Amino acid sequence: MADVTLSDIRKSYGAVKTVHGVDLDIKDGEFVVLVGPSGCGKSTLLRMIAGLETITGGTLNIGGSVVNDLDPKDRDIAMVFQSYALYPHMTVATNMGFSLEHRGASKAEIAERVKWAAGILGLTSLLDRYPRQLSGGQRQRVAMGRAIVRNPQVFLFDEPLSNLDAKLRVVMRGEIKALHQKLKTTTIYVTHDQVEAMTMADRIVVLNGGRVEQIGAPLDLYDRPANQFVAGFIGSPSMNFLEGKITEAGFQTSGGVLPLPKLINTEMGQTAVYGIRPEHFRLSDHPSHASVPAEIVLIEPMGPETQVTMKFGETQVTGVFRERINGAPGEVIHVSPEVGSIHLFSKDGDTRLN
Amino acid sequence: MRADISPRAKVALYGVMCVLLIPFVFPTWWMVTSSIKPISDIFAFPPQLVPQSYDWTTYSKVFELQPFVRQYWNSAYIAAVVTIGTMIISSMAGYAFARIRFPYANAIFMIVLLGLLIPSEVTIVPLFQMFLKAGMVNTHWPLILVPIFGAPSVFATFVMRQFFVTLPAELEEAARVDGLGRFKIFTRIALPLAKPALASVAIFTFLHSWNLFLEPIVFLSSAEMFTLPQALTQYTDAYGGPMWNIQLAAATLTALPVLIVFIIAQKQFVEGLAHTGLKG
Repeated sequence: MADVTLSDIRKSYGAVKTVHGVDLDIKDGEFVVLVGPSGCGKSTLLRMIAGLETITGGTLNIGGSVVNDLDPKDRDIAMVFQSYALYPHMTVATNMGFSLEHRGASKAEIAERVKWAAGILGLTSLLDRYPRQLSGGQRQRVAMGRAIVRNPQVFLFDEPLSNLDAKLRVVMRGEIKALHQKLKTTTIYVTHDQVEAMTMADRIVVLNGGRVEQIGAPLDLYDRPANQFVAGFIGSPSMNFLEGKITEAGFQTSGGVLPLPKLINTEMGQTAVYGIRPEHFRLSDHPSHASVPAEIVLIEPMGPETQVTMKFGETQVTGVFRERINGAPGEVIHVSPEVGSIHLFSKDGDTRLN
Repeated sequence: MRADISPRAKVALYGVMCVLLIPFVFPTWWMVTSSIKPISDIFAFPPQLVPQSYDWTTYSKVFELQPFVRQYWNSAYIAAVVTIGTMIISSMAGYAFARIRFPYANAIFMIVLLGLLIPSEVTIVPLFQMFLKAGMVNTHWPLILVPIFGAPSVFATFVMRQFFVTLPAELEEAARVDGLGRFKIFTRIALPLAKPALASVAIFTFLHSWNLFLEPIVFLSSAEMFTLPQALTQYTDAYGGPMWNIQLAAATLTALPVLIVFIIAQKQFVEGLAHTGLKG
């Protein structure tokens, strides 16, 4: 177990810069998730931490020592790959004990560690099988077993659940989280799935275009996104954005006037982006000064909640309601945004205004 | 689908297949049966498909007229050394071309591949002069060194490279994280996974060396050093005419190991040859 510190970490391929100076302090035992859209540099960052990619600039510190120029094997890390990367010609037991074998462990020690890891992951009955004889979830578990068997300082996960079906993904998500709680090893986990990030992380790092957009606890990111990108990325269905002007009466959009929260550094008449999450709309029985009319486009009943796509002036927005809605497309309903859950961003989306 | 074929169509299909079989099976049948016929029966008209009389002495004469055991050994050990040498060199070179990033790797690979375009007949005279100067004529060195560093090895390198290119990079990265260096990744991860490609390289290299004809007749001059294909030409009478039945007996013995291996490992043979894109 160890701290991991990234100071101004950069990566370029020739003239193409992919990571533009990332600073990140990961505390011992923390579970940090790097999340972002495809091509945001999250996997590159992880691979630089692993030592599989060279670091163009900056300093990487694991457990108090600079490891920029160390080989992966000397960094005392273990990595779980997206494709699991199990050695097809070795049994589960050999796969799991392989790294120990190459670090000079005795046969008895290897057997003991493999047995311990297999016990934790429920693999004891599968130790003599080959990877091809295992299901996707079992392979995933073997890949984790290979990582934990060595008791490394840091676990690195590179989108480990993306090859599993939706149901198994939820199960394995829980298992990885439970494993972390049991072993308390510093973990850096890469995913493009914000639900995975929200449910697993102690802290989330949102990356975009090779830059850190925001670092924070999952609910901090959800409640107070620093900019429009983070606001749109975290949360599913994603946040609605409406363009308009800040006026005395409220936020003037093409669909009507919306209530405004307490603002900082704003001027009357300033153009801005109004953000409201689908779950932060409330249904109003009657028109009122706090509600705005919206035309129903699509109703999707999900069971516990109802997702409604609505037209709000020229803009289409999504609302999620606990109530069951008996409306039809074309009908008008009245909805009001929760004032305490409104996010206001500058026109370019880079700055939060409330 | 097969159940849909009517019995009549099935009979017709088998008939066609039997006819197509004749050009493949007949030469072998003729070689084996003629090896135990008296020489006059080989040229009898109408031809005797089944021998009327047997002359087993042809097989003992094979060993009396030539140092056949010695020649058999020559062919076997040369083919074995060439096969093992080619497997070592082509797997390492193929891995390097596929996996190690070095300047002009693709250009160098293309230049290496160009070696395949030069017919062996073109290089045989300069090679002879080279080996003559090195004092290696009438030794087995040319028959070992030329294939290991020549066209057969280039082709084998190509086959191995194409295999290693398809090997997932994550496997090697996992091995790096597990603590392996480049050479151990090659021996412990890449090579064991390359068994199908290595098997096909072994098959065609062995066959090529076993059947090599031009090089032995250029480089070897004494009967003790001969390999089998060359030895077959030596069963002649006092006037230089071929002793057909003895020659065919020797040919049968020459083809025997390949036939036996083929029958035992028929499936692997076909898969191996399919893997290389070579025809049988």
